[in-house]
Amino acid sequence: MGKGISFGQFYPGESFLHKMDPRIKIILAIAYIVTVFLCQTFYSYLAIFLFLISLILVSQVPLKSVLKSIKGILYLVLLTAVINILFFKEGRVLLNFWIVTITLDGLFFSAKMALRLIFLVMGTTLVTLTTTPMSLTDGMESLMSPLKAVKFPVHDVAIIMNIALRFIPSLMEEIDKIMMAQKARGAAFDTGGLIARAKALLPVLIPLFVSAFRRADELALALDARCYNATDKRTKMKVLKIGYRDLIGSLAMAAVMAGIILMRVFLTGV
Amino acid sequence: MKGIIELNEVSFDYKSVDQTTVGVKNISLSIKEGDFVALIGHNGSGKSTLAKLFNGFLIPDTGDVIVKGMNTKEKKNTFEIRKKVGMVFQTPDNQMVASIIEDDIAFGAENLGVPREEIIRRVEWALSAVDMLEYKKHTPFKLSGGQKQRIAIAAILAMMPEVLILDESTAMLDPEGRKEVLEVVKKLNKEHNMTVVLITHYMEEAIDADEVYIMNEGEIVDFGKPEEVFKDYKKLNSVKLEVPIVSQVIALLQKDGYPIKNCLKVEELAEEICRLR
Ligand SMILES: Nc1ncnc2c1ncn2[C@@H]1O[C@H](COP(=O)(O)OP(=O)(O)OP(=O)(O)O)[C@@H](O)[C@H]1O
Ligand SMILES: [Mg+2]
Repeated sequence: MGKGISFGQFYPGESFLHKMDPRIKIILAIAYIVTVFLCQTFYSYLAIFLFLISLILVSQVPLKSVLKSIKGILYLVLLTAVINILFFKEGRVLLNFWIVTITLDGLFFSAKMALRLIFLVMGTTLVTLTTTPMSLTDGMESLMSPLKAVKFPVHDVAIIMNIALRFIPSLMEEIDKIMMAQKARGAAFDTGGLIARAKALLPVLIPLFVSAFRRADELALALDARCYNATDKRTKMKVLKIGYRDLIGSLAMAAVMAGIILMRVFLTGV
Repeated sequence: MKGIIELNEVSFDYKSVDQTTVGVKNISLSIKEGDFVALIGHNGSGKSTLAKLFNGFLIPDTGDVIVKGMNTKEKKNTFEIRKKVGMVFQTPDNQMVASIIEDDIAFGAENLGVPREEIIRRVEWALSAVDMLEYKKHTPFKLSGGQKQRIAIAAILAMMPEVLILDESTAMLDPEGRKEVLEVVKKLNKEHNMTVVLITHYMEEAIDADEVYIMNEGEIVDFGKPEEVFKDYKKLNSVKLEVPIVSQVIALLQKDGYPIKNCLKVEELAEEICRLR
């Protein structure tokens, strides 16, 4: 556990993607998600795949870090794939055995679904890998700033998100440590039935909560000591600025999106 | 001369529905500008409570805490006092708000509304003061405990405080990390004339202090120059504190009539003994 999730893990770098404005990256990530859902044919999946690969190359983030993100959802992907294969009844039958029917269309369909999930996670992970949580939340704060008009505490929400992202790795590390300690005392997390396993997790969760509350206590003091919310004329060290990279990035995303839409309209088949 | 922090018969109790616990009682003291003060006491002796009274986290039940002429009781002073008196806590991990070091350092200055160019200058200054400038763009996760704690100190320095309080900030560190942090703190005290209040239960950390306060059950039971205070090891033992070995040896030798001068370092003691012949 712990090691499988790379969400919220920033990979330091100076690449094109790192230097883009976080607001644009958030908007483009949404556009990317929509685009992935618009994919229908084999060629559109191929197009998204190539786009994703080039994004990874441009980001200069090692492929290993990006792939780590799928590890966390691997079971989900496999489970949905199996369900899709078993329940898809249309098309040419490949195998008919007892109550199991596997069709060619079913295979294609579940492969597409699995790819869709993988593309979604890899693409959005690329945003968190190339954007520091601070600038990510700065971006969200700026995008949500119209809500300030209705007294929505935009800045506080941004700080909460930022701190949550900041503490994910620490808590993961802690889970690892507690599990190790419990294992040393003979706890078994990977044997037994579902209930037995859930029960084995209880002695992990309780110390985790206790330590999380202790952390929260000290963090609250530290925030106070650094005058958080003391004035409303807060300044920022890093100001967000939209540059030529954001223009190029947006154009690229728009081109891919347009291509996928065109394929959806004009191409049918696999 | 008036101290930068003045306490006047200050008492504070923690009150809950069914009981009150004594935090500190009847404390008067004065911390001079530029001093290096150590606050020593066993667990639960009231050190953290006293520290929290210094920067207005807690308001005394009776008595007054005056920071640079401002009473912590008055709400309008709170902001100015927090700005003047910075506090570093025990666990470095729990004091960081950002995942990139420079963002974390900037946070306090940003909250104060310092102009952007000035923040950038302060971040550079604070990081070089704790000797961590090359880690500016890194994440703190892979650093050692001592390095993380130096970052936590820099994060406070960026607010340009005049007093730096370290509440057992070395307790979680290994000896190497403890040494690093202490060196940084001493440098800040010497070179930047920062007033330092070091809370600890390692007596060795206090031997370079200008003044030591010993706490027990919420009260100050002894204070003065470290070599004076550490001499009375019976009294220190009675408040559950372990006296540095050098002070114990000196006390025993003096008791037997040897004319040994008070000192705190092993090397100095060795020289004193050699002088005796
Ligand atoms: N939030 C609180 N509520 C109630 N009682 C408290 C609270 N914080 C501290 N106390 C009590 O006040 C007394 C002094 O505690 P304080 O934390 O100041 O001691 P300390 O010298 O800092 O100890 P340590 O070395 O453990 O940090 C203790 O008896 C403690 O139990
Ligand atoms: Mg304490």
